Amino acid sequence: MIKNRHQVISLLVVFVFGFVLFYTGTDGFRAFTAETARVNRLLDEKPKFPKITLEDSKQREYSISEFKGKYVFITFLYTSCTSVCPQLEMNMSKVYEQIPKKYLGKDIVFLSISFDPSRDTPQTLEKYRTYFKSDGETWRMARVPDKNELDALLKEFGVTVIPDGYGNFTHNSAFYLVDPKGSLQDVMDYKKIDEAADKVVKILNQEAGE
Amino acid sequence: MQQFIYGLLLLIALAIPPIAHFMESVMIIHMHMQMPMVVFAGFLMARLFMDRFPRFFDKWNGNGVPGILLFVIIVGFWTLPRSMDDALTEQSVEVFKFVSLSLLAGFPLRDSWKRLNSLGKNILFIFFTILFLVVGWLYIDAPVQLCNNYLVIEQITLGWGFLTTAICIVIYLIYITFTDRTKYE
Repeated sequence: MIKNRHQVISLLVVFVFGFVLFYTGTDGFRAFTAETARVNRLLDEKPKFPKITLEDSKQREYSISEFKGKYVFITFLYTSCTSVCPQLEMNMSKVYEQIPKKYLGKDIVFLSISFDPSRDTPQTLEKYRTYFKSDGETWRMARVPDKNELDALLKEFGVTVIPDGYGNFTHNSAFYLVDPKGSLQDVMDYKKIDEAADKVVKILNQEAGE
Repeated sequence: MQQFIYGLLLLIALAIPPIAHFMESVMIIHMHMQMPMVVFAGFLMARLFMDRFPRFFDKWNGNGVPGILLFVIIVGFWTLPRSMDDALTEQSVEVFKFVSLSLLAGFPLRDSWKRLNSLGKNILFIFFTILFLVVGWLYIDAPVQLCNNYLVIEQITLGWGFLTTAICIVIYLIYITFTDRTKYE
């Protein structure tokens, strides 16, 4: 009987330990993959878009302050990508179409940022943007020419890019929404087009109503 | 004592940064070689403590159930994609990986295995078969990249690694069910 009691105690200790381990390891059973954890953390921290220089398809150079006072809807891509990126940009164009014209360029700007600056020159981006009916103004495509600045941006927004050695990259994809002050406001699932569009339109309507 | 030293040497060798980095660079080696080897290192080291403190283990782990449960929890935790990613990006989690898999999985496995009756052993085998089938299927069939640090193709390789391990366990179970081992002893 005594022996049993000890074992019951050690069983309980093991159970409690296991519970605590899984609880802390998954942020309270919320994040079983690092990607979910990353998004949760971004939403908690709301990092600021770093001060970096972007070069767009029209060879204009500017920082994020170019879009001061506007929401910026961002995706990260590289044009040689054959898998996720075209789908990501296609979905982005569907969100773009759902935004009322009156807001475009004035209250919100769409921005696709390439993380492959050596291949994605302004000429390449200029061509690439036409595939998705981006006008180069209210939806711009840009690269970050400076490698250090690019790394800082990817780190800040938690974008993990792994070169696979064959000229391709594996990377996590999402829609990012940066608020008019330059802080990250939301990270949205790029597969849920309507949900993302509804959310953005709602935010824009609210701003306009004020 | 000798076993303890071998175990400790193995653990140290596995933890040397270049070796650890190499093994962790491939997903399936990370999970199906490095992690089991850390468990094995703990398994070897356990002997010394079992000999020194037999009373302690008899008292708290008499039928082996608490120990084996601890083993299951630790191993289960390390099959989560999140844990693997965190081990690569956070130093503290990496340290915890080595400590937990050796001390909290290898140790209790050694002490508990001989205490378990055959029913307990079979339950454990069946549990791991199911776990590996489910996790294997998850890694193979997941439409998304589960680990940010590994490619999808590596994820699929790992999934097949899990499935083949599960198949091996099933073959072993069939083997012990239909053969009378006393004949060969």
